[in-house]
Amino acid sequence: MQNNQKQHVKPGGFHNRLFKLKLLAAIWSGKILIALTRVLGRGGTTLPGRAALRIAPRLLSSLSAPLPQGSLIVTGTNGKTTTSALITAILKNAGYRCINNQSGSNMSWGVASALLAAVSWTGHLPGNYAVMEVDEGAFPGVVSSIKPRGVVITNVFRDQLDRYGEVDHVLDAIKKGLEMQPEGCFEVINADDPSLAGIALNKAKKRWTYGLELDLPAGTFENTGRDMKTCPICTKKLNYDKIYFAHLGHYHCLSCGYRRQDPDVKLTGSTANPDGSSSVRISLPGENIAVNFHLMGTYNLYNLLAAVTCARALDISTTAMRGALEQSTPSFGRMEIFKLENKTIVMALIKNPVGANEVLRTILAQKNRINILVAINDKIADGTDVSWLWDVDFEQLVSIEDKLSGVMVSGLRAREMAVRFKYAGLDTARIGIEENTAAAIDRALEQTSEGSRLFILPTYTAMLEMRRTLNKMGLGKPYWEE
Amino acid sequence: MAEIIIYHLYPAHLNLYGDRGNMLALCRRAEWHGIGIKVVPVQPGGSIDFANCDLLFMGGGQDSDQKLVAGDLKGRSSDLRRAVEEGMAVFAVCGSYQLLGRYYKTSRGEKIGGLEIVDLYTEAGQKRLTGNAVINCSLWEPPATLVGFENHAGRTYLGPNLQPLGEVLIGYGNNGADKTEGAVYKNVIGTYLHGSLLPKNPRLTDFLLEKALSYRNQGFKPAKLDDSLENRAHEAAIRLAGSRRHRRLSTRA
Repeated sequence: MQNNQKQHVKPGGFHNRLFKLKLLAAIWSGKILIALTRVLGRGGTTLPGRAALRIAPRLLSSLSAPLPQGSLIVTGTNGKTTTSALITAILKNAGYRCINNQSGSNMSWGVASALLAAVSWTGHLPGNYAVMEVDEGAFPGVVSSIKPRGVVITNVFRDQLDRYGEVDHVLDAIKKGLEMQPEGCFEVINADDPSLAGIALNKAKKRWTYGLELDLPAGTFENTGRDMKTCPICTKKLNYDKIYFAHLGHYHCLSCGYRRQDPDVKLTGSTANPDGSSSVRISLPGENIAVNFHLMGTYNLYNLLAAVTCARALDISTTAMRGALEQSTPSFGRMEIFKLENKTIVMALIKNPVGANEVLRTILAQKNRINILVAINDKIADGTDVSWLWDVDFEQLVSIEDKLSGVMVSGLRAREMAVRFKYAGLDTARIGIEENTAAAIDRALEQTSEGSRLFILPTYTAMLEMRRTLNKMGLGKPYWEE
Repeated sequence: MAEIIIYHLYPAHLNLYGDRGNMLALCRRAEWHGIGIKVVPVQPGGSIDFANCDLLFMGGGQDSDQKLVAGDLKGRSSDLRRAVEEGMAVFAVCGSYQLLGRYYKTSRGEKIGGLEIVDLYTEAGQKRLTGNAVINCSLWEPPATLVGFENHAGRTYLGPNLQPLGEVLIGYGNNGADKTEGAVYKNVIGTYLHGSLLPKNPRLTDFLLEKALSYRNQGFKPAKLDDSLENRAHEAAIRLAGSRRHRRLSTRA
């Protein structure tokens, strides 16, 4: 009897076979569901992963374990999607095959769906790396199952308070995730974010840091999203020599001496080129590189640095980095550009005050006439609490009101957004309200004159809806085909 | 011209849930009604002379900010209490609302003393009470709806003679059990509702302005304002809060 029982748990025994069957069942159900949802014109980034995880809860670790180069995880409030896209581009340019969740579906089931889409029907995962962006709340869980070789933390700002309560809780989740990473791995951290740099490194891991060393004007934005007012070590006031945006910058505490450390990878210069790109100089340990970079905004310089630092940690050559970075285009809904005859549509996801303020800053810098469409949904993926809209500095738009050919609001919270614009001081007669996002795009495009730009600022689910509308108009490809 | 002086308490620390929108609503509507307005930001450590304040606005904060604020305010609680008894208007949201009470009992059983201005106390609960909320507010006759968003771990219980701000129609309210939401004491209004609350509940904004004016014996002559956008946002928010599908998506207790 005893012998028999022992045999059951031996490798290759009954339990193991049962687990393999479960895994295959999960893979097959997931893949069938992905095929079905795509026939329906959806991305299949939620349901298939959820269903497969229910069948095989250890799906993430089983699928990702055989990857020869391991997994990389990017988390943080802003910049996850762009940073992981840049890392992927660099790795591809260096000759590696990568699997990723490009659509920004970044809960555990989004990661599962991305792996399921890539895995073969027999369970083979063709690729060298998995590069996944992961929601801060899901971070500890995904780290403990995937055991990533490297993690990249971009920044921590106020975001989706309905889910996480407050910023302190997000930091706790990030700390927990970092602790779950196995020894011998590496982490990449933004040295300019005092909340992240203050996290103690209490494991045999390698920590890489990055930061900006530029002389930029601080900007006139009222940063209500600046949640780090006090030193994370001693809770006294934190002083800044430079602030790039929100609480990112060169900080020091007069009370306990906590200060920004000299980062391993620095961005030491950025000059604007006539074509809208910028020439960026990056200093790495032992070498410097210059890159012609096409993504707009200071926040994208941080994303660039995060990706370069991660690539450096993986020993990727600077030649491969430069080649990939110079070709990079905006990711999914992040200042993504669509051309329609003479009109240009720029889609910029907004989801929290700091990110939205940076998008507004780019809009304010436009020289020509523009049209604005803001689409606010309040589903779970958007954040069910829309109070953050009141922390965004929409008041700034009043200064360019003469350049605005139209202002539209859309989505489930279109009316709330209309009130937001009214209290920002915009002329209410000019605010168009159209709850339906497809109809709103039509109306906004009509108002957009030839040769000018329509800026669409959607929350996450509104962006998915609007991309479907644009795809139907023949603009862009559905994201699962990219 | 009638004038109101608003003291904005610790704006850098108490601004968690769109409190900027509440301040914006007070300032804009005062301006539209032809009321002069002066905002005085009150910083921790500085001196506060409540004798010059007509309306005190206290927003919500993170736990860490909340502690700092509680410590700083403790020394001024008797001045504040005197002003409140004389009729100064106070609008307090979320953490600040809790702070007005007798104490906050944490999940570890530790009691943190409050300002003891309003007869209420708060105890931490296990789950956060989060979601859209609609209440029937009894500041007016007949009562009218207020709509906002709540997100709090504390359960607040009102003393026997304290009037709630309203009766919960959708959501949790003070404690998720007794159907009360917020509290009204003299010209003090405390609530868990944010969202921001005041912009899409213009009647409450005007009520606060009126109380701030009457405290200084100034009359409120409301201008005829076009509130159609605000009212449509109010109605739409109630519809979303009430829709069962949306509630399932957004209410997580």
